[in-house]
Amino acid sequence: MRYLVLILLPFLSIFLQSTLFGFYPIKGALPDLILIFVVFLALLNKPRNAFFYGFLCGLLEDLYIGSFIGINALAKGATAYLISRLGRNVFKDNILIGIITVMFGTIINGVFLVLLSLISYNVFHLDINILPNMLYQSIYNILLATPIYAWYYHSTKDGVLRPYGGR
Amino acid sequence: MFKLLKNKYLWIALLIFFISMFVINLTSESRDDITILEKVIRDTYTPLQIGVNEFRDNWGGMGTIFANTKNLQNQIVELEEKNRELRFQNQSLREFKSEAKRLQKILNFKDHNIEKYDLQSAKVIARSPNNWYRNITIDQGASSGIVKGMPVMNQDGLIGRVRSVSQNSAQVALITDREMAVGVTIQQNRDTNGILEGLGDNNDLRMINIPYYSTIKPNDIVISSGLSQTYPPGIDIGVVSTVTQEPNGLLLSATIKPVVNFDRLEEVLVITDYRPTVFEDDFEGDEVEE
Repeated sequence: MRYLVLILLPFLSIFLQSTLFGFYPIKGALPDLILIFVVFLALLNKPRNAFFYGFLCGLLEDLYIGSFIGINALAKGATAYLISRLGRNVFKDNILIGIITVMFGTIINGVFLVLLSLISYNVFHLDINILPNMLYQSIYNILLATPIYAWYYHSTKDGVLRPYGGR
Repeated sequence: MFKLLKNKYLWIALLIFFISMFVINLTSESRDDITILEKVIRDTYTPLQIGVNEFRDNWGGMGTIFANTKNLQNQIVELEEKNRELRFQNQSLREFKSEAKRLQKILNFKDHNIEKYDLQSAKVIARSPNNWYRNITIDQGASSGIVKGMPVMNQDGLIGRVRSVSQNSAQVALITDREMAVGVTIQQNRDTNGILEGLGDNNDLRMINIPYYSTIKPNDIVISSGLSQTYPPGIDIGVVSTVTQEPNGLLLSATIKPVVNFDRLEEVLVITDYRPTVFEDDFEGDEVEE
């Protein structure tokens, strides 16, 4: 059941992003639901698992988009790994932690995307407008992440997302 | 140091990194076709997206039931007024059209008017799920004859080009995408050719490579020139809003406000039979003109 939900979340995210949020951007920026779920999983799981989950979710997004396949996979995997490493000793029972992590996650993910674009010479990605865009995206993400974290944290504690045997 | 080299996770991470970089580079250039896996993923989403879209359409219809009848009556009066104006304009344009056709025939010119192309209408069912790209997904795909590279427009003007096709849907890159470029010209005098670029983060467009002696000015109408060989000539694109001089002083650039409202795209038309003109044909036309 836990795995089913974890697989369905990114599928649902892409569906919502393309049909719902895609039509209502804030200042041209869309939220990144997949990133939100990846960041939450990373916050509550081991770095290695977080990396693979982030990588696979990013890969699904890349395959749906259909160009530069792998760029989101690497960026999201690396973001998840970092968040998981840095958040090891953080007290997670606070909704503020969820919000701050999503904000940092959005920025880290953006930085990784820019770095990967530089390495693979996709210079078209680079534009001065990336910074305001990233800012608006992190605001949008925070707005969405607040209710989601409440659900996610509780279902990891004692709901559908609880690992077998408990923590 | 040697201990680090023995860490197998480091090697796995490196392997994943290099494989991913390889795939990124492999899929960065415009590919002829997308892989089966991508097609399966998209075709799984298509029926769901069509469903949501129909729901949204019906919801919009529900709104009009509750709308104020007075507002609706005002709207009808406004539209009738507009309709009268357009009918009058149409009358004079019809006359111009037959005249132009006659002259074209005498001079042996090729007809480039958009009405001679086959248009396939399609509904917009989804938008890009991501900030980096500006594209839309339409509900017609390979099964209804859509092929990669076909130009897409609506009744207002040019929208973009088909980027990739799956069985029942197609992805259309908008001209506001950073990767897109369109050869354009000014409708009134045709003395200024330029290249139109998408900015990627808002709906404005930028026209570059305009020579410094150009007479381009705000409120000029920009249309496709047909020089980029991807889009038919003569499709409306936008209106010049500002003109600025490039730092080197030799070129101008202009900001263009598109005529299409990219935030509210619902139905689009795919041009299914556009074949770019071969350059030799153009030269023949020039000779006849002399």
